[in-house]
Amino acid sequence: MTPDPHPGSGPLFGRRLPAVTAAAVVAALAAAMMSPPDYVQGELVRLMYVHVPAAWAAYLSYAVTLAASVGWLRRRRPGLDRLAAASAEVGVFFTGLAIALGSIWGRPTWGVWWAWDARLVTTALLFFVYLGYLALRRAIPDPVLRARRSAVFGVVAFAQVPLVHFSVLWWRTLHQPPTVLRPSDPAIDHTMLIALLLGVLAFTLLHALFVRTRCRIAAARDALDADDETRYRPVAGAAVSAPEVGSHV
Amino acid sequence: MSRPTTTPTPLARCLALAAKDLRVERRSGEALLVIAPFGAVALLLAPLAVGVDTPLLAELGPALYWLVVLLFGVLVTLRGSAVDGPHQRAMLALTGVGPRILLAGRTLGNVALLLGFELLLAPVAVLLYNPDLTGWPWLLPVLVLVAGGLAVLGSIADALAAGLDGRTSLGPLLTAPIAVPLLLGATGVLNAARYDRPPWPWLLLVVTVDLVAALLAAWCATHMEDVA
Repeated sequence: MTPDPHPGSGPLFGRRLPAVTAAAVVAALAAAMMSPPDYVQGELVRLMYVHVPAAWAAYLSYAVTLAASVGWLRRRRPGLDRLAAASAEVGVFFTGLAIALGSIWGRPTWGVWWAWDARLVTTALLFFVYLGYLALRRAIPDPVLRARRSAVFGVVAFAQVPLVHFSVLWWRTLHQPPTVLRPSDPAIDHTMLIALLLGVLAFTLLHALFVRTRCRIAAARDALDADDETRYRPVAGAAVSAPEVGSHV
Repeated sequence: MSRPTTTPTPLARCLALAAKDLRVERRSGEALLVIAPFGAVALLLAPLAVGVDTPLLAELGPALYWLVVLLFGVLVTLRGSAVDGPHQRAMLALTGVGPRILLAGRTLGNVALLLGFELLLAPVAVLLYNPDLTGWPWLLPVLVLVAGGLAVLGSIADALAAGLDGRTSLGPLLTAPIAVPLLLGATGVLNAARYDRPPWPWLLLVVTVDLVAALLAAWCATHMEDVA
């Protein structure tokens, strides 16, 4: 049995996960459309079914980055570094999406695109913290050094996540406090809660699909780099030039 | 007969490294003769952008001071004169200086420099903005605690960005968003004292950030052998 010379050359998206994700997205959209309008916000409440799951997917991404970073520091497996990086990239995407959707929701609700609200500001800071993480990765060409330093920063950066979550409790803000993730019964209508949970499931699956695909791209690129390094490595005796035949005849 | 040699304690090593950093700073003058005047220029320019509205500037003064301390203080922790070359790092490693001691020494030096930086800029801010200084004694622990927290976070960022081409631009991006609770705490203490509210919850926030940062630094130093 011979090892696969190109470990990253498998199917990029796969079949089952995209199918399951697509089904979950369709179900979540249907539930969001069929759920009742809010007494105060009317139809605007439907933005909640994408805004909250996007924020959840962002938290999940950073938690995966944290776990993979700790895992890399213990086990030193390249796959864990790829997972941490892929999850951080996806997390930055979902954080940006949550901020954009929140801004669109805030305009008709609060009357402004941006409010100096604790949750908004700390989420924006989280976005920049992980942009810094990605910038750090780009700045280091050596793969082992990159993995080590970004793993350390992946752990340090996660300290910001609880600050974002609890900011609405610690400071008086426009943003509402947690309605689902709280010790008592969720303060939300149960039909809405089901639609919201379906949205969370769809975004979780989207997160898994994006991260898996990004990991596969990274693995293929690493395999290509290793291949190039082997191919263009100078062979023994390359420094010795062959004598020119017939020049002194 | 040769004198018996004693191994210096970790604290003595930290202090020796901090003293080395301060000596290098005294020769180069980078933090206090370049970055501090640059911070003073920022304090001078802000009113020109805001508009010369004296009551408004008196209101904004403390916040602008802490903002300048945060953004320019990061530059103090990432100053070029704090860069150890590969030969210096190799020599320190050979003499048994571990990564934790190295990071702690660098942090101690940064605390001293940041305190100097804050003390240089404080009279400039008072002179330019004429802020309400009610409850100013609270400023003393805040100055020390903010210097401590920023020094630890800056030392971590400095270690992470060590030897990289974009070190001076990457370092502030890594540090500034994480250091924001220090800014909130520092401005919150003075505001609370001014409006006769208890400032200690804000002080507690700064202390918590300092402790969490110190614990993270102690943990991550062991994984930064390439820097030590």
